[in-house]
Amino acid sequence: MRNAVCWGGALVCLSAIGFAMSSYHLELYQKLLLVATLAVGFNFLFGISGQIAFSHIAFYGIGAYAVVILTFKLGLPLAVGIVGGIAVSALLAAMVAIPTTRLEGFYLALVTLAFAQLLLVALGAGGELTGEDEGISGYGLPDFFDIPLTGAAYTPVIVFVLLMTLAVILRLDNSYFGRACRAVRDNPTAASAMGIDVARTKVIVFVLTSTLAAIAGMAYAFVNNFISPPIFELDRIFELLFMIIIGGTGRHAGAILGAVLLYSIQFLVEPLVGKFHPLIYGFVVVLVILFLPKGLIGVWDDIVARRRRAAAPGKPS
Amino acid sequence: MTGGAAPLLQVDGLTRRFGGLVAVDDLSFELGAGEILGLIGPNGAGKSTTFNLVAGALAPNAGTIRLEGRDLAGLRPHRIAARGIMRTFQHNMAFEGMTVSENILIGRHTRMRHGLFSVLAGTSGARTAETAAVARAAELIEFVGLGDWADADVGTLSFGQGRLLETARALAGEPRIVLFDEPAAGLTPAECDRLSDIIKGIAGRGISVLLIEHDMRFLMPLAERVVVLNFGAKIADGAPAEIERDPAVVAAYLGDPSGRIAGTAGDA
Repeated sequence: MRNAVCWGGALVCLSAIGFAMSSYHLELYQKLLLVATLAVGFNFLFGISGQIAFSHIAFYGIGAYAVVILTFKLGLPLAVGIVGGIAVSALLAAMVAIPTTRLEGFYLALVTLAFAQLLLVALGAGGELTGEDEGISGYGLPDFFDIPLTGAAYTPVIVFVLLMTLAVILRLDNSYFGRACRAVRDNPTAASAMGIDVARTKVIVFVLTSTLAAIAGMAYAFVNNFISPPIFELDRIFELLFMIIIGGTGRHAGAILGAVLLYSIQFLVEPLVGKFHPLIYGFVVVLVILFLPKGLIGVWDDIVARRRRAAAPGKPS
Repeated sequence: MTGGAAPLLQVDGLTRRFGGLVAVDDLSFELGAGEILGLIGPNGAGKSTTFNLVAGALAPNAGTIRLEGRDLAGLRPHRIAARGIMRTFQHNMAFEGMTVSENILIGRHTRMRHGLFSVLAGTSGARTAETAAVARAAELIEFVGLGDWADADVGTLSFGQGRLLETARALAGEPRIVLFDEPAAGLTPAECDRLSDIIKGIAGRGISVLLIEHDMRFLMPLAERVVVLNFGAKIADGAPAEIERDPAVVAAYLGDPSGRIAGTAGDA
């Protein structure tokens, strides 16, 4: 019950912030929420399950294109478009995951990178269906009880996707399945001896996190009612990777912190240093990797641990 | 052998070749419920290969490994664990960066029968299973004497404590059989005594124990029966006292040049 109040409160608060913003800031805010959603899922795939896969942004794009094509190009009802988009994404994820479960580290990275590249090529050559390089625009969501789902009124949808992703990931992580994922990451031989089906665990994680990314992509499709291939370019997966590493690999709060920080940094420093802002971004990434191996969340952990240690001797035994 | 009942584990005609080398040659032995069986032999006798065949880390070229009559030869390790055979590793393989308690909970994986949908829905069944797992892990931590380290990072444990962790983790899967891979290796005499008591306690609960071991001072007082391998074949099978006097075993260990496993060749 208290849990439901917390989640509900988060939904209301995070949505309400959107109504206080200018349309420029609102768009950035909505995209930030989606980046945080991607970071939470990618952290489970990369940080917790140890799969070095570079297809997360590709599935974000697949979700976006799938819902738009099914609903507005093929004229299916929106609900069918959403369910169909989820099914298409999950199917594609399974097609990538099942043959590659035997691959590790570098090789999985290469296959998923190739898949992401292939998707961009397909989008660029999809003719009328994908709109090729121009992408697709001029579509939009139907009104929700006379409220047009644009601008700030659309924020609750995005916040819902973020919180749903977070809830799914937290539930899984705090169960035997989350422990199995960490075991597979740390020592597949020992994990297998403990009765964990290593290949099955990897496939489930890949399909699940990729599908969550696709759902975030569906939400993205209606932020500007415009999608095109450059939005899903390869460099965005490395941004996502940096966000996880800087926040603290394997930590949920770290993923969100990293996403918020790295996403905001460009807008915060651009007015100060102009076009040199990627330099600042690069500096921050390098400094954190060199000096904070556990990421920013590691700094917080140290503070908490020091406080606890300082408090301990004073306690009556 | 244990009474008239069928043995819990029945290994029959087990063979594994590596290229031209026959590492395990037509090996047969049995393990009764609650029995402590030692598997010994000189270096290269095929002990580790046998262990890996039973644990599923290797697939045999021929032969069967029946647990209560059901063959599990060639199953993958996680399937073997699910059937009720759990193992420890000679070089401790704790999951790094986790606590002792979390490591033991991972050992319970095969007993977590609720699916992912119950996990996502947070059903009462999922919560009950999780609570029960945590309680069972706490019991096992006490059983092996790591109570003060339950929440410690496994990286802070000594090697001997790591071996106790491996033991508790194997027990967390509620196995019918626990396989120990040279459990005494690297332990101090005091730690050996402690582990020996724990293994007797495990057998006392009706769980069978199969040990491969080099350390005879550890194994002989502990095992109820010993199977001796040499060049992949069984050369003796009996109580420790008989085994120690067996001329073929003595010859195999001392490398008697005149009578190399003479008179026992038909045993294999």
